[in-house]
Amino acid sequence: MSLLVKTHSAESETESKQALVPPPARRAATRGPRISLGGLTIWVVLALLIVAPVLSFVSLSVSPRLFSQGSQWFTLSFVRQAFSGYTGRGIIDSLWVSTLVALLGVSIATSLAWLVQRTNIGGRRLWRIAMWILLLMPTWMMTLGWTDLLQPFGVAHALGINTKWLYGEFFGPLGIVIVLTTAAMPFSYFVVSAGLQGIGPEFEDAARIHGAGRLKTLSTVLPMIAPALLSALAIAFAETMSDFGVAFTLGYHSHFPMATYTLFNAISTYPANFSVGAVIAAVLILSTIPPIALQSRVMRRRSYAVLSGRTRTVRRRTFQPVARGFATAGVALLFFIALGIPVIGAVVGSFVKDLGIYSEGGIHFSLTYYHQVFQPSIEGKSLWGPLGLSNRLGLLVATGTGLLAVVLARRLVTKVGGWSQRITDVFLLGSVAVPGVVLGVGYIFFYNLGWITHHVVDIYKTNTLLMIALVASSLPGQTRFMAGPVSQIQPSLSEAARVHGAGRFKAWQTTNLPLMSRVLLWGWLLTFTKTISELAIAQILYAPSQEPASVTIQAYLGNYEQGTGTAMTALTMLEMLAVIVIALTMFRLLTPKGWRRIGWSGIAS
Amino acid sequence: MNVARGTHIAIREVSKEFGPKVALHSVTLDVEPGEFLVLLGPSGSGKTTLLRCLAGIERPTAGEISLNGNVVVGDRSFVSPEKRSLAMVFQDYALWPHLTVSNNVGYPLSRETKETRAQRVSDLLERVGISHLANRFPNELSGGEQQRVALARALAADVGLILFDEPLSNLDADRRELLRIEIATLTRDAGATAVYITHDQAEAFALADRIGVLNHGKLVQIGAPESIYRNPTNAFVTRFTGIAGEFPAQLREVKSDGTALVSLEFCPDHVVEGRVIGDIHDQLAFFVRAAGVSLSAASDENGIRGAIRDVAFNGRGYEHVVELASTAVLTKVFSSKRFERGENIKVHFDSSASFVMSPDRKQQ
Repeated sequence: MSLLVKTHSAESETESKQALVPPPARRAATRGPRISLGGLTIWVVLALLIVAPVLSFVSLSVSPRLFSQGSQWFTLSFVRQAFSGYTGRGIIDSLWVSTLVALLGVSIATSLAWLVQRTNIGGRRLWRIAMWILLLMPTWMMTLGWTDLLQPFGVAHALGINTKWLYGEFFGPLGIVIVLTTAAMPFSYFVVSAGLQGIGPEFEDAARIHGAGRLKTLSTVLPMIAPALLSALAIAFAETMSDFGVAFTLGYHSHFPMATYTLFNAISTYPANFSVGAVIAAVLILSTIPPIALQSRVMRRRSYAVLSGRTRTVRRRTFQPVARGFATAGVALLFFIALGIPVIGAVVGSFVKDLGIYSEGGIHFSLTYYHQVFQPSIEGKSLWGPLGLSNRLGLLVATGTGLLAVVLARRLVTKVGGWSQRITDVFLLGSVAVPGVVLGVGYIFFYNLGWITHHVVDIYKTNTLLMIALVASSLPGQTRFMAGPVSQIQPSLSEAARVHGAGRFKAWQTTNLPLMSRVLLWGWLLTFTKTISELAIAQILYAPSQEPASVTIQAYLGNYEQGTGTAMTALTMLEMLAVIVIALTMFRLLTPKGWRRIGWSGIAS
Repeated sequence: MNVARGTHIAIREVSKEFGPKVALHSVTLDVEPGEFLVLLGPSGSGKTTLLRCLAGIERPTAGEISLNGNVVVGDRSFVSPEKRSLAMVFQDYALWPHLTVSNNVGYPLSRETKETRAQRVSDLLERVGISHLANRFPNELSGGEQQRVALARALAADVGLILFDEPLSNLDADRRELLRIEIATLTRDAGATAVYITHDQAEAFALADRIGVLNHGKLVQIGAPESIYRNPTNAFVTRFTGIAGEFPAQLREVKSDGTALVSLEFCPDHVVEGRVIGDIHDQLAFFVRAAGVSLSAASDENGIRGAIRDVAFNGRGYEHVVELASTAVLTKVFSSKRFERGENIKVHFDSSASFVMSPDRKQQ
């Protein structure tokens, strides 16, 4: 009997209606908390991709006997060893360089984001595109460009510029900080830009109306992007700590050891010292915990939700012509240093005959190095095979990562609030900080364990293992990249489709896919290009006689064939740019207008 | 009106829990074909959850739901939303931003031929008065226009059940009134059963054939609007459907016609009369609807003494706030005559719009 009938006997109408109601149906079985099949699958995948390889490897730092790498169950001797001598210097160098780079990168990127987002500075679209190119460019390519430019008888010499005074300085901490700072800028720029977009003019207006001057207004409004600044600092620090491209090239040649290189060195020299490598890996991972924990703590304690339907379009500050000219010139100079120099160095360098070698007849430009790409001087090391392999890997890794990242991102933003979701969130946040070199070494170690190769899967020294490692390396970052745009899609859009007759897949395909299409495309392109240029994992895990392009290029550079390596780098960059242009053009031509006018705005953001 | 096309809804002992929170507690309810049912309740009362369970967007923790005798939620069965043959107007409209108005409205007609779909979309846009906006995208429309698109999309499906999730809550007062009338007319013309949720009692009274009042996940009363207004079952329903004031009272006499005489605590000498609702407890309160209060000059011998605290012109006359004692205030007291702020007056209560019942605050 319904509660209504009990409460008021005078309700004749109600009673008559309720009297028609048949006896209550049996209750459906109450569903208690349970682990869904989807959740379990995700955890198994993440465990095999990231957790098991990394944890088993890191555990060697204190317990080498656990995986038959020594006689002790517990020892701190490898910790002491790792913190002394060459490896100890590498850890210290990485920590101070990463701190400095994070502070510099975020400061520059914040100023730049403010200039591009909130002022009438010239060339705003160009700077956004340049920032995307910077994001896609690996640090070893930047290093190569700088080296080609500054080295004796290099590009600067060919162009009649004396750079002898800078050469010695560049091959040291200064060059390392410059390259890593330019690499840290794009992440910080995009994070801070998103934060700035959320702060509509109403907050500034409110401060001014209530008596705040310009400085007070700035100090009131700026803390509103505190989460963005902290995110940027955490990401910049973690990215710099885990960078391998600079450590493997500029760091090595400058005799400036960095942790990622000393880790690589520990496991690639004979006899391999996995336990010391594991200590360095643990330091690399643990060092990223404080900034990430600080960011999470700030995010948890306060609400920074400033975007709403009422947020008005931002109002740009209008510079006077002279100030605008200075500001634009300043930004142009910044991008010239960050992007222009490396690109000019690499591209021009690939045409300089006898690059880096004294020639009595002076400097000549030629296509010699491009000929050598076709007719390799190192036997069997043509660019085409490796570049083809890199493209195939890029295609598979970008597609696989994209699919997994969408599933994980949806899971992250769905407010089910279970422990599984929270752990996934924390885990993915932490995994962003696992350097590629740690993952690569973890894979070498874990997938070569006897019981794994005999009883689980035998993919050691295959391209399959390399591909899986590249997916594992890209997945955490891609998931977080997609989580933002996915969370912006109101659930009611797919609910409306379901209610109006669409099945689960059709509802997703017709409502969510169009809104996510741009972020999916950019995510795909980002992973594709990063995979092609990836060095750390490729260098550690490539299958015998099947090198990816980045490894082949490094082989030429390591063989003192700077020119051929540079030409190969230039062609690889060109190919990456061509893929981006073709993909964006196809997207523009093939998708309906509605797909392109709404949702995550990609390069325009 | 084509009442036969409407869907019969049978909801039996439906409960829904979100972790430890019970959103719906054993709700049982029938909706007749072609009926316009409004579910009324405050935030967190469970009305949205019940609507989403009906739509198939949420799955109840327990209970059964049948549409036209077909079980869509049961012991072992759950029919997905797209197979329930219903339509819905969402609170945020849920218009797909990448589709034009035409494509949004034509979405439920994907199985029709292109010509049929185009014709039907054109007819519907004409009916809701936005045929000139067919090629616009949702973000190029005003709130009212977006709401019309959502309504046209719901009608396009030509189904027997349309669900409305507070569809007018994001609109300003003028548009709300206009669209309320359109929703009532178009839905009834279509002959569909409608389940409409709102927290606005005026909207509920204006639209409903029947109103179901929900509180804390329970259906506390269901009936015609007049019945809900005149015969509320408890203090919560009385308050939620609009009162001018509520005052602690002492029982003097229970009459045989179901009314009682009580004295008000702030004015013990004065006895007022109201209909008894529920059981008589030690703690009683006197409730009066705005329509049950009238004002007269201070010189009037009868009535309770009071003073005007505020007055507002509402077009037809004046709404007053009257202070009877430091803790006793009446609001929304209508009079065609304006009484000035601070003016002393006399207040009279009409027993037909007054109630005596337990003030049970736990129901809130």
